[in-house]
This record gives sequence, C-alpha cells and structure tokens, in this order.
Amino acid sequence: MISIRSMTRRSEPYVFAAIVALSLLIQARSGQFFTGNNLVDLARALIVPALFSIGCMLVIVSGGIDVSFTAIASLAMYVTDKTLLASGYSGSVLLAYAMSGALGLLMGALNGGLIGFLKLPTLVVTLGTGSLFTGVMYGVFAASASDVPPAIAAHGKQTLFTAVNLESGLTSNMPSQVLILVGALVLVFLLIRYTMLGRGIYAIGGDEAAAERAGFSVAWIKLFLYSFVGLLAGITGVARISMISYADPSTMLGMELTVIAAVVLGGTRVTGGLGTLTGTIFGVTLMTILANSLILIGIPTYWSRVFTGAVIIVGTGVSARQIGSARRRVRTLQKEA
Amino acid sequence: MKRSFVSVLAVALVFVLAVPLFGQSYDPMKFKSSKPQAAWKIALVPKDATNAWFVRMESGVKRYAKDTGINVFQKGPPKTDAAMQAQVIEDLIAQGVDAICVVPVDPSALEPVLGKALSKGIVVIDHEGASQQNCLYDIEAFSNEGLGQALMQVLAKSMGEKGTYTTMVGNVTNASHNEWADAGVAYQKAKYPNMTLLAAEPRVEIMDNLDTAYQRAKELFKKYPDLKGIFGTSSLSTPGTARAIEELGLKGKAFVTSVGLPNENKPYLKSGTVQAVMLWDSAEAGYAMLATAVAVLKGEKIANGINLKGKGWESMTFAPESTKVLLGKSWISITKDNVDSFGF
Repeated sequence: MISIRSMTRRSEPYVFAAIVALSLLIQARSGQFFTGNNLVDLARALIVPALFSIGCMLVIVSGGIDVSFTAIASLAMYVTDKTLLASGYSGSVLLAYAMSGALGLLMGALNGGLIGFLKLPTLVVTLGTGSLFTGVMYGVFAASASDVPPAIAAHGKQTLFTAVNLESGLTSNMPSQVLILVGALVLVFLLIRYTMLGRGIYAIGGDEAAAERAGFSVAWIKLFLYSFVGLLAGITGVARISMISYADPSTMLGMELTVIAAVVLGGTRVTGGLGTLTGTIFGVTLMTILANSLILIGIPTYWSRVFTGAVIIVGTGVSARQIGSARRRVRTLQKEA
Repeated sequence: MKRSFVSVLAVALVFVLAVPLFGQSYDPMKFKSSKPQAAWKIALVPKDATNAWFVRMESGVKRYAKDTGINVFQKGPPKTDAAMQAQVIEDLIAQGVDAICVVPVDPSALEPVLGKALSKGIVVIDHEGASQQNCLYDIEAFSNEGLGQALMQVLAKSMGEKGTYTTMVGNVTNASHNEWADAGVAYQKAKYPNMTLLAAEPRVEIMDNLDTAYQRAKELFKKYPDLKGIFGTSSLSTPGTARAIEELGLKGKAFVTSVGLPNENKPYLKSGTVQAVMLWDSAEAGYAMLATAVAVLKGEKIANGINLKGKGWESMTFAPESTKVLLGKSWISITKDNVDSFGF
C-alpha cells in the first residue's frame, strides 16, 4: 500500500505551482494580489465552493459522483429561510444552520439509500434527486428570491477582522463563515485519517468487492457518506445566503460542475480510491482565484470564459495524465512482481 | 430507417403547416366587438401567478375593473413555465373570453395557441413580447433607449456628472441589458463630457447572480482606483455592488444604479449608499394592457400618441418601423422616500 502510494505521482505540487504562477501574474498585472484586502476577498469567495468541494471529494473518492448537492443546499436553505421568516424567528442563527443541515441530511440520506441499498448508479440517482429537489423548490414552494430573516442577516454582518489596504484605503471584512470551513476541514481530516469509516470510503472507491470481503458494510458506509454530504450542503446553503443577505433559490445551481472540476483538478481520481483534502483545497483555490481575478489581470469580459475553460482543460488534463501514467507504472510493476 | 424517414417527414409537415400560422397578419379594426360592453370578458395572463411582481400587476387589473366596470380578471400558471402558460390560454379560449392580454414566458412557444385565439376573433395583446407574431399589439413600458438614458441621468447625478464609470450587464448575451447600456453610454457621450467610460473594461457581466455582482464590483474598484460609477442593468447589479461599496469603505465615493426591486435595495437606499434605482410599475402595465384591449374591442384606432391611461403610458409611440409594438415612458425612480410604498 505504502509503496504504491509513494510511486504515485501526485498532482498537488503541479496545482500548487499553478496557484503560485497565477498569483504572480495577477500581482504583476494589478499590483493588488498580495494585499491584505484582496486575500481576504479571495478567502471569502472560497468559503462556499470549498465547503461543497469537501463533500464532493469524498463522494468521488468512494467511486461515485454527486451532482445534486447544490440542489440540496438550495432547497434546504430556502425552506429554512422561508420558515424562519414566516415564524418571525429572531433568535440565534444556529437554529438556521441546524434546520438547514437536518433538511440536507434527510435529502442526502435519500441519495444514500438509493445508492447504498438499491445499488443504483450514483450519477443517475443524483441527477434524478437533484432535479426532484429543484422541482420541489420551484413547484411546491413556488420559490423566488427572498429576504433573509434577521438572525441570518445579522450573521452576515459578523466579521472576524477587517483588512485594510494602506495604499488605497480599501477595506475588506473576513466573514465569520470562514470558521465553518475550518471546522469542516478539521472534521473531515479526522474522519478520513483516523476512523474505520473514513478508511472504508477509500476502500470502496478502490475496489468495492474487495472492501466488502474485507468486512466493510458498503451499503451503510454509502448511506453515511451521502447523508454527510447532504448535511454539509445544507449548512453551506445558509452560509451562502447569510454572506449576501439574499435568499436567491438559483444562486448556487450550476456550481456543481465547477466544484467537480476543481476536485478533479486537485488530483482526486475520477474512478475513485484516491484523493486528498490538500489537493482538493488547492484545486478549489485555483478555480476561485481564477474566477475572481480576471478583471485584476485585465482580461476583457468577452474573453473570460475562454480563459477559464482553457485552464480547466489544461489543469484537469495534466492531473488525469499524472494519475494515468502512475497507474500504468503500478501495473507494469505488478506484472514484473 | 423507414420509421425515422416518416418522422422526419412528419416534423417537416408540421413546420410547413405552421408557417401560415406564424405569418398571418390580422387587421385590428376587424376585432371590434358586436357584444354590449357589459358582456365582455377580458383575461390577463401573467408569467407566474405567485410572483410578487405579477401579484402587484393584479392590483392594477382590479383597479381597472373598479374604474370601468368591465369584467376583467387575471389568471396565470402556478410557476413560470411556457407550456403551463399555453394551457392557461387554451382554457381561456375554451371559456370564450373576448380578449387575452399576456406577458409571455416565451413568445415563440405561445405562437400556436395565440394564433388559434386570433383565428377565433379573440383580441390578443402582448406585454414584454416584442417578437410575438400572433398578437394585435405589444405594449412596452419604455424603449430600451429611453430607459438607458434615464439610468444614465441617475448615475450622472450621483457622480456629480464627472469621473470614470463602467457598465455591468446580467449576461453579455442579454439583448435588452446591452441595449440599455449602449444607450446609456451614447447619452453620456452626448450630455456629460466630464464623464468617461472605463476603456479597459467597458462591460462586465455578472452571470445574473448577486454574489458575482459583488465580486466583480470589488475587483473593479481594486484594479481601477479612479472608478467612480457603475452603470448597472440587471436588478442584481445594485444590491451586489452596493454591498461591495459599503465593505470597501467607498460609500460616498463610488456610485451605482440599475433597474431594481424595492425590497432588495431598501437597506442601501436607506443607508445612502444608493441614491435611486429605476423600475416600471407592473400594476400600471396591467392597467395599460387592459386599456389597449378595450380600445380594440371598441373599434378605436390605435395611433401614435394614444393614451393607455396607466401612469407613464399616457402617450404611446410606435417603435420605429413597427405598427404593432407601442412604447411608453413608464419608469419610476425608487428612492429612500418611496421605497416602502410598493409591497415587494
């Protein structure tokens, strides 16, 4: 196991190099990259995609794919938002997180049940449930953009600190939601490093039959996994609307593709079994910097999509090649042995 | 193979048969009603029955009923869906209404059903559907040029008629947003010589997302320290940009305006970061649509200068080279003083 791993050429160093190169380019073009307030702005922009990417990485590592997490986040936050608005709730925002998280968990459990116990293909299930959740939001709840309750609005104004750019005098606030991201990273790190459950997720993605024979209860692990991803998505939904004080049901829909691209860019193997938190955060950081610096670089709007598309193709292509060549080498070595 | 040929043939046939439906033009004068006014039934079909914008429109419909005593009512699909809207219109045709006023979700998807209505002698009036073939008239609250100029006046006033600005659209492919922005820029060049358009980044897109508007505004103000104004179009540009302005500490130094909804902009209007956003009032639009339908049923000639009675709809003009599309001047500016009076 360890010998195979050490032979695997990892993609983190490449992604990290790309981040550094891009940062230097932005710095050279705008003189604004390495300023306190710009870094705070990027950290803020990173929160939501990074939270999504953690769950997304776990699913891909398990050999699955989830395209429903943005729909889960949207429906969970929307129902929470509307319920709290209607009830005139004015207490702590923790209730909003708990409620949205619980709704997300239930929706994730539906995914997990269908995938784990009925053994349906993950893409088909999550495409279906994603469409279902979006449909319920627009159909049953007749969702349209809405205000947020006072608890969420106040939470959106909480800042950890304010970064001042001494030269321009511009200020940027670090939102408190960044703590959720830190918490989720620590939790998932502990999960995959120290628990049998976490190891099980990797084992399933490596070889499901082997994992089953080794004594992992595959169905239950999948139920846990998708429920956990749903929980994270529900929490992310509230984080998102609190940061802009505006509950727009469509604000997160469509992000799933960028998030999946970021996770793959970060070196997670699409066929499962391989992926790291560090790589994922690198991948999502690169995508976030890219998405939020095109004006700083000075790329006109009309060219920004071309530029973003090219980076995704090159980035994921390089990652995929690294992993592909590593696997070929493993195979040759296995044959020789 | 054989079956696929048949299906291709069938599809082709549908298109051939549909052509006359799309191409036919109707003489509005022939739609004069022979029934007494008290027997008229006029329906207004919004995009979506539950949306606050169209709930407000219904208040205009009710006011029209009260003012005139004519049987008018609003009936829309439960959500914004072209197929469901077509079904609502089918039902209204079956009920034998005399006129249908519609705010189409997708004009082309409604052509067949509206063609059917016209062929049965039902008056069809559109709003925000300038491309609709099967309607007698389409009434628009304003010309894209007129709104662009009005937005530029607001921005210029906020900026003290000097400094650098740029434009922000929902999507670079959004036709009306780009027309507003083009008209605004042309107006600035003619009227405000001390203002300049940011040459390096003259048009920014926000993917119709408030968070993106916020991020783009932050980038713009960081990269271009001289930038003083953002000419927004999409209703999400002002709340997103205003939030960025407040966080960056640029309140009073940078300005933004766009089309905007009262509730979304209320905090920024009240705090003074935003001076005004522009809007047209859906209640007045509903009122004007019904007035158009009634004018046709009465056999009145619709000509330049016709008064459709809604506020800003008093003196309509035909769009250039059109005998169908009527333009009004129905925009209102929403400020801290009137922002509470809309209910949405």
